[in-house]
Amino acid sequence: MSRAIILELAVGSDLSAPEAADVVAAARDAGVSAIRLLDGGAGQVLDPNTVASYLAARLADVHWIVDAPTTHNAPYNLARRTLALDRATGGRSGLVLRAGEGDEVSAATVPDPSASGRSQRWAEYAEVLTRLWESFPAAALLGDQAAGLLAEDSLIRGIAHEGSFYRVSGPLDGPSSPQGRPVLAAADMDQLDWASVAGAADVVVVNRAQAPAAQGALADALGRTGRKRAEIALVGRVAVTAAEASADNVAAELDEWATSMGLDGLELRPPDGRAGALTVAHNVLPRLQSSAGASLRAALGLPELTGART
Amino acid sequence: MSRQLHINVNILNAGVFGGSWRFQGTDGLASFTIEHYTSIAKKAEAAKLDAVFLADGPVVDPNIRYRPNNNLEPTTVLARIAAQTEQIGLIGTLSSSYNDPVELARRLGDLDYLSGGRLGWNVVTTAGAAAARNFGRPAEPDHALRYRRAAAFTEQVVAQWDARAGFASPQGRPVVVQAGGSSDGRRLASRVGEVIFSADQDIDHARAFRTEIRSGAVHFGRRPEDIVLLPGLSTVLGSTEEEARRRREILDEVLPDAYARRRLSGQLGISLDGLSDAAPIPAELLVEPDEAGGSQTFYRVVKAIIDQENPTLAQLLRKLSGGGGHRIVVGTPEQIADDMERWFRYGAADGFNVMPDVLPSGFDDVADQLIPELQRRGLFRREYEATTLRGLLGLRAPAQAAVPHEAVPLEAAR
Repeated sequence: MSRAIILELAVGSDLSAPEAADVVAAARDAGVSAIRLLDGGAGQVLDPNTVASYLAARLADVHWIVDAPTTHNAPYNLARRTLALDRATGGRSGLVLRAGEGDEVSAATVPDPSASGRSQRWAEYAEVLTRLWESFPAAALLGDQAAGLLAEDSLIRGIAHEGSFYRVSGPLDGPSSPQGRPVLAAADMDQLDWASVAGAADVVVVNRAQAPAAQGALADALGRTGRKRAEIALVGRVAVTAAEASADNVAAELDEWATSMGLDGLELRPPDGRAGALTVAHNVLPRLQSSAGASLRAALGLPELTGART
Repeated sequence: MSRQLHINVNILNAGVFGGSWRFQGTDGLASFTIEHYTSIAKKAEAAKLDAVFLADGPVVDPNIRYRPNNNLEPTTVLARIAAQTEQIGLIGTLSSSYNDPVELARRLGDLDYLSGGRLGWNVVTTAGAAAARNFGRPAEPDHALRYRRAAAFTEQVVAQWDARAGFASPQGRPVVVQAGGSSDGRRLASRVGEVIFSADQDIDHARAFRTEIRSGAVHFGRRPEDIVLLPGLSTVLGSTEEEARRRREILDEVLPDAYARRRLSGQLGISLDGLSDAAPIPAELLVEPDEAGGSQTFYRVVKAIIDQENPTLAQLLRKLSGGGGHRIVVGTPEQIADDMERWFRYGAADGFNVMPDVLPSGFDDVADQLIPELQRRGLFRREYEATTLRGLLGLRAPAQAAVPHEAVPLEAAR
């Protein structure tokens, strides 16, 4: 069966932008569903949203999932950057919201100074993002030149978010994505509780150790949210060593593991550097049945959005 | 080689005029697509411009019903432009009030590196309560406090750039651009600005402003030539004078009626409801610029027009044309080149931040007609002479930053 197949890269000191462009092109040709751009910290890895926008200009039709933490990012700013990338790529982008701390701008006016907990922060942050991404529906843009009406502004509505960590008025500055909203992923299940994630994430990335319990934990958590299992892609993240990448049976083993764990997708971490990543792109990716689609949502096998979440 | 003009194009969504998006032959929604920005940038590079400039604010424009706003986050747009161009500079506006300096320094530094040293950061403090409310504040912070924070924030960012271990900037560090025309803004410009994007209607005032900023720079231990002053210039070009004038008239005709009053009301921070079109704005409604909240730059420009010309409200709205206070020049390529040359030789400008009336058509006219005229006069480059923005602007590589001031949160005065 086909699955979401994601190749993760950290572009910077170990893999330059031109080298990454080679790897992404090879992965695209091998049918990869999406590229995830990790952040490895300033000075080691280049800002992933910036890299995605840069590479996407040269590699049309690739799908991008970009890491950014709550730390140092006010939600309004991160919502804007992610949506700008998603619109620029024609609905082919998403965000891995990494668990973290706050930012300098929001911290100064935090509604509840006693609020704490990464999982709680993540859940609130994710809700703000989702609502902001829906706050300016693309349908509000009229462009009626004869009548002098650019937009039906009654459809563009603030979110008036008042939470424990953040207070955000909205609406966002630009129209919604061709795929409805950018895809929102969670990837820190050692820090986040399943209830927080199940309410907001489109994608949950788990590692090998977390995978066996993930299916059950997700099902339990979903029961309390009203969302369906099919609305979330559960993705298992595995490192592929240089030796494994060259072996003929690695794809079959990965596929078997994914099936046994009930995973909807695989995220492959290639060996460091251009050569190792290219080996994965050339030798492993073509042997996996990758899901595909025009939008990132479709490429990950997620259902189309049928209206606002919030 | 003799001194030449520096010219940026301000890709202000559909164009600087309120009715730009309705101008004949214009796709009214093009400025909501990324291709609008990348295609203008490619054309600007072919015309050998110094840089593209993106204005921005983290907020939806309250007048979105009547005209497009800046609707794509600038670093995301500039990263895409960087990938599709080779040499043109990339200047993005990012708020010092509503960004975390650690994140902003890293992102801008990385974009600078990726682009081969072509980045400039336009520091703005971001006026208005609507933007403040997107970041947990009920109202815009006090003007002086916003600028105190901007100074400390900028120095903090610059210090982080200078301390970068990996991905070193090919131009030493990104160029710091600054636009404030207020007293606080001018101080900030003299202290940290390298390019100043000003708003001025009057050549003598502009020259005095340039002199003030340059001598202010000396006061802060810098050289006068460490600052490049680029006033905003809205261009309305025609192949004949009559054609240009007609274009200007059409831009007035397509200005959405409700928009011009709302925009001016917002800029002045006063209600215009109930005021007659046929009479001037009553003087008692207008405070002194330094006491105004919001954008003091535009308040100052509009107040100066009112003080000097005493126009009726209708005349004032027409003069501004929803454009926001930058100087509008209307004419043939030769006439506009004459105007630019006069400002340049008089010491009122080092070049211009050109704001075409309509995008992309107004910029096509700039690139195809005005730039060649300036090149014929020896006033503008025919080929790029440098590979970085700093190089194109003739700015020297920066000295190491001083020890940064302590962070100034926006709430310091509360």
